[in-house]
Amino acid sequence: MWSELRDLREGQDLGTPPRGGEPVALVVDGKPVTVPAGSSVMLAAAAGSCPVPKLCATDTLEAFGSCRVCLVEIQGRKGYPAACTTLVEPGMVVTTQSPRLHELRQGVVELYLSDFPQEDVPGGWSELHETLQQVGVASHPYGQGENHLQAPVDESNPYFLFDPAKCIVCSRCVRACEEIQGTFALTIQGRGFASQVAASQGERFLDSECVSCGACVQACPTQSLVEKSLFVGGYHRAQPPKA
Amino acid sequence: MPNPRKPDGSLVTTCAYCGVGCGFKAETIGGEIVRMIPWKEGKANHGHACVKGRFAFDYYQHPDRVRTPMIRSSIDQPWREVSWDAAIAHAAAEMQRIQAQHGRGSVGAVSSSRCTNEEIFLMQKFARVALRNNNIDNCSRICHSPTQFGLSATLGAGAASQHFDSVLQADVILVVGANPTEGHPVFGSMLKRRVRQGAKLLVVDPRRTETAESAHCKATVHLALRPGTNVLVLNSLAHVVVTEGLHDAAFIAARCHPAEFEQWRALVADARYAPEVVGPEASLDPADIRAAARVYAKAKRSTIYYGLGVTEHSQGSTGVMCLGNLALACGMLGREGVGVNPLRGQGNVQGGSCLGSWPHMLSGYRFVTDDAVRATFEQDWRLSLDPEPGLRLPNMFDAALAGTFKAIYIQGEDPVQSDPNQNHIVAAMKAMECVIVQDLFLNETAKYAHVFLPGSSSLEKNGTFTNAERRVSMVRKVVPPLAGLEDWEITVKLINAMGYPLHYDHPSQILDEVARLSPAYQGMSFALIERCGSVQWPCNPQAPEGTEVLHTQTFPRGKANFMLTGYVPTTERIDERHPLLLTTGRILSQYNVGTQTRRTGNVAWHDEDLLDIHRQDAEARGIRDGDLVAISSRYGETRLHARISDKVSPGVLYTTFHFAQSKANAVTSDLSDWATNCPEYKVTAVEVAKVPATAPASARARAGAKA
Repeated sequence: MWSELRDLREGQDLGTPPRGGEPVALVVDGKPVTVPAGSSVMLAAAAGSCPVPKLCATDTLEAFGSCRVCLVEIQGRKGYPAACTTLVEPGMVVTTQSPRLHELRQGVVELYLSDFPQEDVPGGWSELHETLQQVGVASHPYGQGENHLQAPVDESNPYFLFDPAKCIVCSRCVRACEEIQGTFALTIQGRGFASQVAASQGERFLDSECVSCGACVQACPTQSLVEKSLFVGGYHRAQPPKA
Repeated sequence: MPNPRKPDGSLVTTCAYCGVGCGFKAETIGGEIVRMIPWKEGKANHGHACVKGRFAFDYYQHPDRVRTPMIRSSIDQPWREVSWDAAIAHAAAEMQRIQAQHGRGSVGAVSSSRCTNEEIFLMQKFARVALRNNNIDNCSRICHSPTQFGLSATLGAGAASQHFDSVLQADVILVVGANPTEGHPVFGSMLKRRVRQGAKLLVVDPRRTETAESAHCKATVHLALRPGTNVLVLNSLAHVVVTEGLHDAAFIAARCHPAEFEQWRALVADARYAPEVVGPEASLDPADIRAAARVYAKAKRSTIYYGLGVTEHSQGSTGVMCLGNLALACGMLGREGVGVNPLRGQGNVQGGSCLGSWPHMLSGYRFVTDDAVRATFEQDWRLSLDPEPGLRLPNMFDAALAGTFKAIYIQGEDPVQSDPNQNHIVAAMKAMECVIVQDLFLNETAKYAHVFLPGSSSLEKNGTFTNAERRVSMVRKVVPPLAGLEDWEITVKLINAMGYPLHYDHPSQILDEVARLSPAYQGMSFALIERCGSVQWPCNPQAPEGTEVLHTQTFPRGKANFMLTGYVPTTERIDERHPLLLTTGRILSQYNVGTQTRRTGNVAWHDEDLLDIHRQDAEARGIRDGDLVAISSRYGETRLHARISDKVSPGVLYTTFHFAQSKANAVTSDLSDWATNCPEYKVTAVEVAKVPATAPASARARAGAKA
C-alpha cells in the first residue's frame, strides 16, 4: 500500500499504480527495464521512456482495460494485450510501436472522435488531446452518426460541470469516486451506446451523494468533467462550423 | 470556446483548512488563482482533496475582504480608514497607555491556527518581548488543549504518534468522538479505503455519523453513547481488557511503569466500570462494549483516532488519558498501524501548540517557570522574561469583566462566534478599552474592536504549517497580500512600535529562530523542507529528515505513564426544564465559524445550521421537519430550523456552528475541562420548543428575501 501512494510523482503518469514488489527485468522496445513485481507492462514502458498511449489508465487508479488504446505486442503471446492490465514477467519482451499497433490505435481513437465535438479537437490541452497527438489523429473518417453532442450539460455543482458530449465513458471518474474518495456516488448507467456517467440514480451532481471532492474532475482525461473557473463568462458549446 | 483556459503558473502550497494539511498546486492565469489541484507528492494527501481545499478558495478575493487598516475611538463609532503606520502607531500607543495605567498584565494576545508557524511564533514573542508578560494563548485552548495535556501525561508527547499513511497498516481502527469523513475528509477517505480492504472499524460517537456507516464502510461496533459519558465508556473498555486478561504484559513490563499499571488496573477493574453497569448509564448494550474492547485488544495492529468529541468535555483531558492508557495496556504504540492520534481541527493548530503560544509554555513545550529554559530565550532575545505564567484565553475574558484586563490583540480568530457562552464573551469584549482584531473579514469579534488590521490569507504569504501528523509543509505566496502586508509583517511592525527592535528579511529567518530555540524543530529549515517536500518533527541530528512514528524504542520520558482516570460526571445535567442534551460539530462543506467558506460556493450544500432532532423528541413537542424551534439552555437561547434525523438518538440534539446568526454558542455552557479549560461544547442540557409561525423572520426567511 505504500508504493501506490508514496511513489506517485507530480508531472508524471505511470499509467497504473506503482508497486513495491521484488525487481523484475524485462525488455521494452529493445531496452532493458527493471520494475517491481506487480507492475503493469504500461508502467514498465513509462519507466523505460517508451510511454504507451492511453485514455482509461492513470497511476492513481487500478487498471481497468476499457479504452483499448494501450495495446502492445508481447513475444510469445497471441493478439494485442492491453499494457495496463498485463503484469510484467521476468524476461518478457514487449513492443510498443509497430505499424500494426499504430493502425489499431488510430482505429480506436478515430472511433472515439466520431462522438466528440470536432470543434474542440484543435486547441485543447486535455489528456485526450495528448493521446491524439501521440497517435497522430486529428479527425475521423466517419459521417455524422448517432452521437451525444446535444446531451444536456450538468452545471449544477458550483465548481465543476459535466459535458457528456466530451465523455468517452472510460470510467475514470467512477473509479476515482470509489477507489480514492470512497463515496461511490457515480456509476455508468445503461449499456452499449446508451452507456453514460450518472451521479447516483441519474440525479444532477448537486442532488446526488457527490461530496464534491474533485477526484472525478482530476481523473477525467477529456475535460468532460472540468472546473468552471477555467471558463470566462460561462460554458458555451462551440457551434459546429457551417457547411 | 469550449476548451478551457490553460493555467500559465503553478506553485505548490499547503491547504489551511483542516489538520490534514493537504499539498496543493495553486494554478494561476495572469496572476489570478483559477484552480487548486491536489499535489500528487503531498505526503498527507497523495493527490486527493476535499471540497474545501480543492474548490473553496475564492474567499481570498471576496468583496468583503478588508483592504485598509481602520480605527475608531469606541465601538458605537463608524470605522475610519487610516494608513498602516497610523494604525500600528495607534494600536501600540493604546496598549502602552493601558499597561501604564492598569499594569503590565492588563493586555494580552491570541494567535491564530490559520496563520503560519512563523506568525504564531512571532505572536508569542510579541507577548513576551513587547507586552513583557505571558498573556498569550491559542485557539487549541478551545479544541485540543486536553490532547497536549493528556498525551503528554501518558505518552510524554502531546501529538499524534503516527503519520496518516500508518492507518493503511491497521487491522482495527478505533474512532472516538470524530467524524473524519466530514471533518478531515482526505484522511477519512484513506480510513474508508483501509476498511474496504478488510480492517475492522470501531466508532464511539453519540451520532450515527457518516464515518460509522456509509457505502462500503460500516463500523463493526458503533457505541452511540450518551454525550458526557466518554470516560465512563473508555474505562469500561479498559475494564474488559484487564479483567479478561487481554492486556500486553510484555509491552507493559518493558515500556511502562509496572507499579502505575497495577494502580490503573485496580481502578478500571472496579465493578463500577463493568459493561453491565456502564451500559445503562451510557445508553449502550454491555455486549457491544465487550465486543469493542475485544476487537481492539486482540488485533495485531489497532490504532486510535480521536477528535473534539473526546476533548471538549469537563473531563476532556481525562478522556485523552484513557486513550493513552488503553493503547499502552494493549501494546498498541511504537509501530506502524497502531498509535493514538488526535485529528486536529485547523490547518496549523499543531503549530499553534508547538510554538509557545501558551501562557505557561515557551516553544517546544517548555515551561516559562523553568529558569534554564527562560535563559535560552533571554539570551537569544536579549531581555529578561516574565517567569509568571500568563492568563489563559477564558481567564482573559473573566479578567476583562473583573476590570483588570483591558486590551487584547487577536490574530485570525473570532472568539465571539467560536467561544462558549457567547453572552459572557460579548460582555467581556465590551468591557475592554482596546480590542485589536487582525483578520481577513470584519468578523463577529470585530464588532467590538477599536483597531482592525487587515490580514492576509494563506495564499498571500510565505511560511510553514504543521499538520496533525507533525508534518511541517511549505506555505507559499501565490498572490500578493490584498492589504499589502503578510500577517508576520504586521506583528513585526507592532513589536517595533512597542519599542522592541526586530527585523526579518524573510519568514525563513523566523523558522531558523524557532529551530534554534525548540528541540523538536531543531533541524528544520526552509531549505530542508524544500528538499524533502515536508518534514515531520522531531527533526534533529538523530532524525535529520524527521520522524514518522513516535515512541518506537522509548518514550520521551523513558517509560510511559498510566494515569488514573476515575469518571466524574459533568455537572451539566438534564433536568425537567432542560431534558435534552445538545452536542455540536461541523460539516464537510463548511469550516469552523465559516468566515471563509460562507463566502464561497460551498453554501450550495449548507447555507444554514440546522438542529438535528430524533423523531420521538420532535413528536413529543409537536415539531415537524423544517419548523423553526427555540433552543434554550441555562445560559442562553437561540433559534434554528429543525431537521428530523435518525442520526441522533432520542434525548440527543445536534447542530453545527458555521453561521453567526445561528448563535450556537449562545446556548453552550461555560463549563470546561478540569485541567486545560477547554470548553465543554459537546454537552449542553437544553429544551426545544416550536416557535409560533408569527415569530420574527427566521434565517431561512431572510435568505429567501435576499434571493
